[in-house]
Amino acid sequence: MSFLSISDATKSFGANTVVKGFDLAIQKGEFVSFLGPSGCGKTTVLRMIAGFETPTTGKVMIDGRDVTQLAPNKRRIGMVFQSYALFPNMNVFGNIAFGLKVAGLSKTETEDRVQEMLKLIGLEHLAARYPYEMSGGQQQRVALARALAPRPQVLLLDEPLSALDAKIRVSLREEIRDIQRKLGITTVFVTHDQEEAMSISDRMVVMNSGRADQIGSPAEIYNRPSTSFVAGFVGTLNILKAKVTDLAQRQVFVGGKTIVLNERIKSSDSNLLLALRPEALSLTPSARQDVAVEGTVSHVNFMGSVIRIRMDVDGEKIVFDMFNTPHLTPPTIGQRALAHFSSADVFEITA
Amino acid sequence: MKRSIPILPAITAIVAASYFLVPLFATFYFSLKMTRGTLSFASYQSVFQSDEFLATLGYSTLASLAAIVMGAVIIVPTAYWVRLKLPKLRPLVEFISLLPLIIPAVVLVFGYIRLFGSNSYLPMTSTDHGTNLLLVFGYVIMSMPYMYRAVDNGMAAIDISTLTEAAQSLGASRLRTIATVIFPNVRASIIAGSFLTFSISLGEFVLPSLLNRPAFGPYLVQLGQDRAYEPAALAIMSFGFTWGCMVLMQAFANKKPGQGVLPRLPFLSRKERRA
Repeated sequence: MSFLSISDATKSFGANTVVKGFDLAIQKGEFVSFLGPSGCGKTTVLRMIAGFETPTTGKVMIDGRDVTQLAPNKRRIGMVFQSYALFPNMNVFGNIAFGLKVAGLSKTETEDRVQEMLKLIGLEHLAARYPYEMSGGQQQRVALARALAPRPQVLLLDEPLSALDAKIRVSLREEIRDIQRKLGITTVFVTHDQEEAMSISDRMVVMNSGRADQIGSPAEIYNRPSTSFVAGFVGTLNILKAKVTDLAQRQVFVGGKTIVLNERIKSSDSNLLLALRPEALSLTPSARQDVAVEGTVSHVNFMGSVIRIRMDVDGEKIVFDMFNTPHLTPPTIGQRALAHFSSADVFEITA
Repeated sequence: MKRSIPILPAITAIVAASYFLVPLFATFYFSLKMTRGTLSFASYQSVFQSDEFLATLGYSTLASLAAIVMGAVIIVPTAYWVRLKLPKLRPLVEFISLLPLIIPAVVLVFGYIRLFGSNSYLPMTSTDHGTNLLLVFGYVIMSMPYMYRAVDNGMAAIDISTLTEAAQSLGASRLRTIATVIFPNVRASIIAGSFLTFSISLGEFVLPSLLNRPAFGPYLVQLGQDRAYEPAALAIMSFGFTWGCMVLMQAFANKKPGQGVLPRLPFLSRKERRA
């Protein structure tokens, strides 16, 4: 039995349907990310869980209870916003205590809980600060503590890191994940940043124009994208053209060689597109890599620990990285080279 | 390098300033000449010794304060709701809030007398309390353009929809959200609007005169007809009062949460910051 579930949810604003038949079941204590481009409906789904939007059709259940029509202030959810949304008239203590006062906790209980939360986010020394006296990262940590203080059933994070600079973003996302693990709180995290989603989540939901294209662990989504949208949106992909040689046996011809695909061929004609992650390719073959395509090196970007190489293969551009070693001479631009890969790493994508 | 004084702008500034300052100075000078041959504050003394002065001033102050409270209670939730839920109606509401600037107070008060006169269904003018209430309503209407604008600007400065959602997600009801989150954050604007309301309604003549209330405005006019030096003294005082209001408005508008109106005093702020 899942702790939080959304079943067959649809949301329309006038003629515009932004969420279409969305289904998701989340286990207690799970960390789930909604990933997608802007306008894909991920924030709308989050707001339906929070109660700020009522689904046009469908149901939202939390802990076995139908909350679809329940007001947001009755749902016991904690929410963190992109813009922090701390109350400007209250200091850190006041902000964290707000939900506790609403819940009717006594003064000493409130004080204890606020101290506990301040310790959790490591900002005990800033209890008297006002929001305008703090940095974005500090404000967002206070917002997190404020959301967690009344012990919500579900924690909702609406792009909480998007307004922060890159360095804080990485450290805070690790902090959020640590706190989430420590408290074991069921969490939904909305982001448009794939690296963020992959690094932080138990499971990811990749959304595309109102639908969940794929739901799975970060590794599943990255390694086995189920639609071409997911494949293109998450990570970088290299596309190779290939010909079907035997449909039944899943045999295709690529790089001067016939290989066998892992999965059934979906292409209806004899042409198909194969996809490869950059890390599956290399210039020097390893034991696993049984196929190679030839191309012209078009760019060599020296980036320190890795060297990023771009090649033209039959009009398609492919990109891959190679690790730098002191003895390595990088290829020169215009040089013909072989990019090796393993036939097991190739998957078909549909256009 | 020689720094030249821009002559033309300087002359313009001096002429414009003298336009205000010369009459002000003349009035002040005149107000000091009550006792023949010497300059004294005798006229000011005379004003303060008048019972009627204190009575009418007290009455008007009370009526103005009532108008401020009533105005804030009506306008803050309205402006909040319009911004949050009915943003499309904002131009309309703004237009309505500006109507009192177009409709003269005389029209307003005659409307009141027709609507609430002794022959009407709700004869408010038949009793003193009813008429007092009408006067306060009139003040609320007249100060609405300033109050609404001040509050609406205050709300534009904070993200009220996200703050509302944040409060709701923490379990707060609508009323609690308005009282503990929205109100305190637009307090500076409400205070600014209040000072404007106060300075408008304190010396207002038409409304109390036609409603026959013992307010400060009619007293000022009466005094102007009966006496020579006291009106000048009153004019100077009301000028000082208006300026005082403006200074306070500025102080409150620029105040940040957790700070007093005055620069932070160490012994005060410690207590304040613990809350």
